[in-house]
Amino acid sequence: MMKVFRWWWGIGLAFFLLVLIRVFLPLPFSNEIIIFSIYVMGCSFLLGRVGFISFGQPAYLATGAYATAFYLFYFGTNPYIGILIGVLAGVVMSLIVGPLFVRLRSDYFALVNLALAVIIFYMMQKVLAPITQGDNGLWFLTNMKSTPILDITRPKEFYIFAFLVGLAVWAFYKYLDDTLYGACCLASKINEDKVNFLGYSNFKIRLLAFVIANTTTALAGSLYAVYLGFVSPEMTSAHRAADPVVVTILGGVGTLYGPLVGSVAFTGMKDLISNLIGNWELFIGFLLVFIMLAGEKGIWGSLEPRLKKLFSGKRALKQE
Amino acid sequence: MIDTQLLISGVIFGLSIGSIYFLTAIGLSLCFGLMRIISLDQLLYYSVGAYITYTISVCTGSMWLGALGGLIVAGILSFAVERFIFLRIYERDIAFTMITSFGILIGGVGVIKAIWGLVPRPVPMPIMTQINLMGTEIPVYRLIVVVIAALVYAGIWLFLNRTITGKAIRAGIEDVEHVEGLGINVYRLFTITFIIAGTLSGLAGGLHAPLIMVDPQMGLEVMPFIFMVVIIGGLGSIKGTLISALLVGQVVSIGSLIYAPLAQMAPFAIMLLILLIKPTGLFGSKLLKR
Repeated sequence: MMKVFRWWWGIGLAFFLLVLIRVFLPLPFSNEIIIFSIYVMGCSFLLGRVGFISFGQPAYLATGAYATAFYLFYFGTNPYIGILIGVLAGVVMSLIVGPLFVRLRSDYFALVNLALAVIIFYMMQKVLAPITQGDNGLWFLTNMKSTPILDITRPKEFYIFAFLVGLAVWAFYKYLDDTLYGACCLASKINEDKVNFLGYSNFKIRLLAFVIANTTTALAGSLYAVYLGFVSPEMTSAHRAADPVVVTILGGVGTLYGPLVGSVAFTGMKDLISNLIGNWELFIGFLLVFIMLAGEKGIWGSLEPRLKKLFSGKRALKQE
Repeated sequence: MIDTQLLISGVIFGLSIGSIYFLTAIGLSLCFGLMRIISLDQLLYYSVGAYITYTISVCTGSMWLGALGGLIVAGILSFAVERFIFLRIYERDIAFTMITSFGILIGGVGVIKAIWGLVPRPVPMPIMTQINLMGTEIPVYRLIVVVIAALVYAGIWLFLNRTITGKAIRAGIEDVEHVEGLGINVYRLFTITFIIAGTLSGLAGGLHAPLIMVDPQMGLEVMPFIFMVVIIGGLGSIKGTLISALLVGQVVSIGSLIYAPLAQMAPFAIMLLILLIKPTGLFGSKLLKR
């Protein structure tokens, strides 16, 4: 019982803070944070657990978003089914490109993923323009019918839904960390030859990780689509390709709470700084360099040991 | 299908674009080969070269002087960045150099926006004359760009094969630790390579400026193509970079003659195809460690 409690309390605390955020900060901001942290979680898993740095996450984000958008624009009205279709599209997409990509060395992997993002950008903007309406994007906010129990077409209730989804994704990654598979991922990052000797297939481990991470990203994409009610090629442009990587590093690579802390910090800074000076890119760039030089641990990565020390100190006192 | 005149001008256009890609990509490729870093900030030096060219050509009226200035400023800037940032992270994992250099790139683009503003700026073409080649009018400037790229390739080849420093750099690409064991100061080699790379990127920016509009995002716009050139050619190979730059240039230019959206897509399709057949690129060596 105690163990289960300890397993959950961290997640509980993190999401309690999210509820607090919802109380104190405006709704669009909280929605943005939740979706963005789901988006970043996939990238953080790839980078921290499997050692793949991916500058192509917008490609998978757009896959999910456009699959949802196609369904809601042309065929149906139910946003839940739209999200389901977005997730399925993410699975299919990563199963198609995954076997090709995970064979590559990590530096080539990063470059190829960025190339994929550019391909998808041009497909959506130019080649498939008759279906996607090019730069104008697809608008389907009015197409969505309200759903019975949790009406996610309304931002307030969407927040509850996104919150639950985020919690589920979180618990899933936390669970993954404790399983044998999570250990395999880490081992394959650190020394692939030894993993081979132990009789595990590097290829399969990485493919599965790739599919899991990019399905998460596609989920975030379809959440974006439903929340905003429109999609445009802008979301997959190469300028935004670094965002998830930046936030992963900012929060702390491979840590569980990193994505959340990073998203709060990133979204907050973006809002604050774009109010002040107009080009926040400058700030983000130099912040990134600074974090890398200061020890690449990120906010949560450098905070975690201290918190642990604090709490374990208290517990030791109680036991006495 | 395509008449000869269009084809000839397309080929020349492709050659000049390929030359620009070559000059920028060579920096990325050299840096990866020797230092095992992915230096995305080369694209910043490219933009800086273009902007300095713009500024000097507005002040003095001479674009060539501007390109020279851009080249020098890019070299100095790359020296500063190497001293203050890269010297501290050579030992780290390759992914982290990539992220750091991306940070430098984004931050640098922010600085450019702050100094020169968001508006795209035109740079006047220095030579407006055109020559007649098999019944097709060809702008001389594009030919000059090609010639400059060829000279740079020859210069780099001579430098790497005929001078002691160049030979040390080539040896470093094979095995850095042995070079260090021979008593050669590797970090000096790193600095020299980085400055060469930055200077060439600046030159590429300066030469490209009259052909397009100079705007803050130009580095990010050209980035996918530079990536592609480097990937197809194989990271760390200069010959491979040259060949793939010319290939990509031709595909971009002739592809756009056939079907406009193809110009942006086709190179990526080719890249995916080549990676499927040979995951290290055309001339990339398998020896390079992960």
